[in-house]
Amino acid sequence: MNGEQVTMMQKQPKPILLFNDECAVCRQIGHWVQRSAQSKSGETSILVQPIGDDPEKLRSLNPDLDIWDAYATIHVLMPDGSMRLGGEAVAETLRNLPNTKWFAWTFATTILGFRPFQVVLDVAYAILSDVRPLFGCESCGKPRVMKPFEWVTKWAKALTRRSPHPIHTPHFSSLSAARRRPARVSAEPLPQSSHS
Amino acid sequence: MVNETLAHPRETSLKRLSRDKIRTVTSGTFTRLVLEAEGPIAVEFMSYGCAHCRAIEPVLEQVAEMVKAQEKIFRVNIAVEQELAGSYQIHGTPTLVMFLNQNEVGRVEGPSPTVSSVLAAVTQPFQS
Repeated sequence: MNGEQVTMMQKQPKPILLFNDECAVCRQIGHWVQRSAQSKSGETSILVQPIGDDPEKLRSLNPDLDIWDAYATIHVLMPDGSMRLGGEAVAETLRNLPNTKWFAWTFATTILGFRPFQVVLDVAYAILSDVRPLFGCESCGKPRVMKPFEWVTKWAKALTRRSPHPIHTPHFSSLSAARRRPARVSAEPLPQSSHS
Repeated sequence: MVNETLAHPRETSLKRLSRDKIRTVTSGTFTRLVLEAEGPIAVEFMSYGCAHCRAIEPVLEQVAEMVKAQEKIFRVNIAVEQELAGSYQIHGTPTLVMFLNQNEVGRVEGPSPTVSSVLAAVTQPFQS
């Protein structure tokens, strides 16, 4: 089984940034990285791909890559088979971009065994990840900071009965919201598995 | 500071592969596995990019294990199977649709991601 998984794994000479193409914020960031990664000669320092809908194709990139995890947090797949997640993935991406690598070294700077700039980046990523729905990612769920407002709004609507619409369950992503989202980007398809 | 780097991916991958108790059905296999099959069947219409589906997934896996002797649970990825989702008038995800002898006998949209809630959703339509 292990041998089979090793052969499944794609040999990638460059890191791969996976982004959620159902999320407007992630899509914008993915496009920005894709543009920034290209040198004048047309070479790219980091590959940018949408996560897509096929768990098996993702596993062909890295046997440990779970599609649910990929949508939950940003992933960068490294050529050595490891993965960077969350703030570490953002730092790795910045280290690979010609325009940002001059300051991205700061994220690896250690002071008394502590990486202060990486901590700031981790916190910034966590906040951005949580508030993505406010910027156009309906499928990302509700930001935690909005939950009290949501409860108050629901309570007020139920009290006054002024809402013409039924109160929807909070555990449901409406497809009508999904249809308002812009069309998916036409990114390169994920590489085919060698055994398929 | 925890470095969020996975250096040894294969161990967790094996756990995940063995954990997957819900089979994905496509438009090509839906008729055979759901409509022509005997006994109670629950189908989750979902999408991998949906945060609510992500929240319910481990719960549904747990429920699938609990009811596996009496009932089968499948999933349909509506991002891929759009026609199938359209034919069953799926308005959002996750939606659980219960089938018995080719007929839809119940439907729950966005169940709370708790074992009791999901268990009730996939079993109650067959108890009446």
